[in-house]
Amino acid sequence: MKRDKNLPLTETVYYILLALLEPAHGYLIMQKVEELSAGQVHMAAGTLYGAVDNLLKQKLIQPVQSEDSRRKVYVITDRGREILRQDYGRMHHMIEMTNKIMG
Amino acid sequence: MGTVMKKMKFFTNFDREEQWLNEMARQGNVLIRRKPFGYEFAQVPPENANFRMDYRTFKSRQDFEDYKALFEDSGWTHVAGTKSSGSQYFKQTRAEGSEDIFSDVDSKAARYKRFSDMWFSLACCFVPLFAALIATDAIKLSAFLNPKELYYTPGLWDMSGGEFWRALLFETPFAFFRGFSWLVIPVMIVAYSVFAYKAKKQYAKTQQGR
Repeated sequence: MKRDKNLPLTETVYYILLALLEPAHGYLIMQKVEELSAGQVHMAAGTLYGAVDNLLKQKLIQPVQSEDSRRKVYVITDRGREILRQDYGRMHHMIEMTNKIMG
Repeated sequence: MGTVMKKMKFFTNFDREEQWLNEMARQGNVLIRRKPFGYEFAQVPPENANFRMDYRTFKSRQDFEDYKALFEDSGWTHVAGTKSSGSQYFKQTRAEGSEDIFSDVDSKAARYKRFSDMWFSLACCFVPLFAALIATDAIKLSAFLNPKELYYTPGLWDMSGGEFWRALLFETPFAFFRGFSWLVIPVMIVAYSVFAYKAKKQYAKTQQGR
């Protein structure tokens, strides 16, 4: 199977997509990414804004109706979900192989 | 109300502009407003401020508000910049949190890419205008060799003495404008291209993490 051109995802993009399985606004995404990565991935505001902008252009996430008039809320798209699953599979295979050889 | 100090300055490098704003704050001048060609500072007790810059324009007011809200949530005050100004100025409000508005080199470099693209498209805007002026013979290159043809006062070159000088000096600003004002266009095209090139170089340099 031909691999999608978006793969492999960077660590930050992977965590953002994972965070956006539930709708969230910018700052909440930052907090979730930090939490999901056990404090390993800390994103600054400008970097997160750029990353979200790129994911919107790639249609991996989309804006949803927000109660907050100032803050936009985003959620993963079906395509984003598919990419996330594919990258999970890729990493899963790496771990399996590593276990087999090193484990 | 404290006193406001105005300063004119022009930067093509965000890193240097940030350093300058922080240095100004250490001297007791903290940025409060940005004008097309200048900066306005409030005079306050010297402080160790942390100013950071981004370069972005927005399609809608809502996008711009969302952007500012994200920075505010993260401990940055949006000090200056408008929806379409490009340059956005932030001042750190909380001591905790990151020192910078970017957490990786790619996004820190990308602002120079956007900046470069802006200068480049501005330069490109003037090229068809310049071409149109050349195509319609609006530019008289012969005026460089024979500036006399730019003077329209009847019988000017037959006058003499005070009358001649008065008429000549009176018409010179108009003649100059008629003959050479088009030079502004190629000069701008060159200047904008230089700025685009410099930003592009800074983009590559930042990306290499230097």
